[in-house]
Amino acid sequence: MPKYIKIFLTLTLVASLGLASVPGCLRAEAPAGAKAAPVIKVTVEDSLEVTRVKISGSSNLVYNLKKSSDWLIVTFRALAGLKLEKSPFTSQVVKSVDLAKSPEAYLLIIKAVSPDFSFSHSARKSPFELTIDLKLKNMVAAKEAKPSETPAKTSPLASGQGNPPPAVNQSVDRAAQGLTSSQSEKKAFKTIVIDPGHGGIETGARGNYGTLEKDITLEVAKKLKERIEGDLKYRVVITREADVVVGLERRAAVANNNKADLFISIHANGSKRAKARGSETYFLSLNATDEESRRLAYFENNSGELENRLGEQDFDDLKLILWDMAQSAYLKQSSQLADLVQNQLNQLLNTQNRGIKQAPFKVLTGVACPAILVEIAFITNPEEEKKLQSEEFQTQVAEAIYQGLGEYFQLYEKP
Amino acid sequence: MKNNRNKKKKLRTLLILFIVLAVIIMIFLFGSRKEKIRHEREAGRTDQVSGEKADLPMKQVTLFFLSDTDGLLHPEEREIPESDLSGEARAVVEELIKGPQTGLMGIIPENTRLRQLFVTADGLAYVDLSRQVTEANFYGSSGEMAVVYSIVDSLAYNFKAIKKVSLLIEGNERETLGGHVDLSNPFQPDYSLIAR
Repeated sequence: MPKYIKIFLTLTLVASLGLASVPGCLRAEAPAGAKAAPVIKVTVEDSLEVTRVKISGSSNLVYNLKKSSDWLIVTFRALAGLKLEKSPFTSQVVKSVDLAKSPEAYLLIIKAVSPDFSFSHSARKSPFELTIDLKLKNMVAAKEAKPSETPAKTSPLASGQGNPPPAVNQSVDRAAQGLTSSQSEKKAFKTIVIDPGHGGIETGARGNYGTLEKDITLEVAKKLKERIEGDLKYRVVITREADVVVGLERRAAVANNNKADLFISIHANGSKRAKARGSETYFLSLNATDEESRRLAYFENNSGELENRLGEQDFDDLKLILWDMAQSAYLKQSSQLADLVQNQLNQLLNTQNRGIKQAPFKVLTGVACPAILVEIAFITNPEEEKKLQSEEFQTQVAEAIYQGLGEYFQLYEKP
Repeated sequence: MKNNRNKKKKLRTLLILFIVLAVIIMIFLFGSRKEKIRHEREAGRTDQVSGEKADLPMKQVTLFFLSDTDGLLHPEEREIPESDLSGEARAVVEELIKGPQTGLMGIIPENTRLRQLFVTADGLAYVDLSRQVTEANFYGSSGEMAVVYSIVDSLAYNFKAIKKVSLLIEGNERETLGGHVDLSNPFQPDYSLIAR
């Protein structure tokens, strides 16, 4: 009997101690298995007919294809920590394959030797595999012209690498020359886009005497346009020439479509405080949202590198694709421009210096060049409202802005 | 017989020992939990008591209004009834619309109504205002900034759970109030507009 009891006791003891330790076990949860970052593997292979880019992913990916000049851009939506593994390749069509990151997506940038290519694609799920076939348009022509040079079909890969059709290289060179010459023609004149704020039913702020912001901005913009054009060094585009409504995104588009070198938005300030006075110059603030800060970080980290690797023309294309983050790439220049223009306003106008400031202004966000918004003076301050109405003051403002942008160009034209 | 009685005695002591051990283990296992429950019960009771004493528990908040002197936002203390996050945030915006009680300036245009306010799980507050908020003569850059950031900063300053603020007009997204400040992205607070 005692033996049984002893055994029974020991067992219960052990069991209860075991139980007691269970909650502890539960609390110390095993660390969740570290999730491996999704990886995409890219291979590039030339064959007789086409150049095949194979993208295989460790998980299924949502993608989107877009051709832009000599780039083919594959956008993978909303992925964290996507990694690229590429095997080294030599190809007659594909120059490079790179992965870039935008806030919402990863961009796989396939750069072709020429913009004259067509492509087709097909995809497979589980495991994910996207196959893109690229074909140079004049490669077809080259092949047709010299069918005898086409090697045996049994080893298409070796043939593609071994015998570059000379016609392709020639046409590529020609295309490249054409591109640079037209580019240099455009760059001879700096393009300045002047944006008179508001217009039409969008009157902007209103002064005590009934002066409307939209009228003052247009008058000053016209005077500035005249002043700049007198110089012959610059091309001037104005976002509106009459009292009409022009959307804010449209104004940025005018700048981008004209490949503007500078964007100057002209405004008259308004405040509920009648005594608020003075001139200030704004450039875009990026602390408005997380997204924008991330964009800034992205560009600060990558723009130099991207520009070096892809060349200026390519970088311009990338800017158009990443349209809505356009201004974030130009904040440093924009702040310099703001500083120079504000200095001139301080010297030429007898207004209080309110300095340079940053704000999340809609009209500036999409502009793909240095851009500022000038608040000449307060239309809601009766004294300044009168000033704003005077032609003399308006001419002085135009002169000050003109001097400021001239200084800015001097700064950047020096080698 | 004697042997048998001895055995019984031993058995009894062992049984007692077992029970004592079992009780100790039980206390070890469940003691802390019981204590917690008791604490919670006590806390509940004190809550009830304080609830009976004051019908509406109040919470102090800080609102930011424009100062006519320096053009910056200045704080003004206010008491609002305690409620859930959205309720308290709603009260803050309503107090901003009502305007200041000291020498500061109310800047949200007259007759503006707060139509709705809700806060998402990730801390984005949607503040839906009536169209009157867009109707002001003073909407230059400075005027718009003051209205936007008095709302954004007041909400973010008082509620840690609110990280960003999105302004809607009549339930819809709108580009700007009067042609300047971009409303299409949520705002993070900008305390540089507040006087130090």
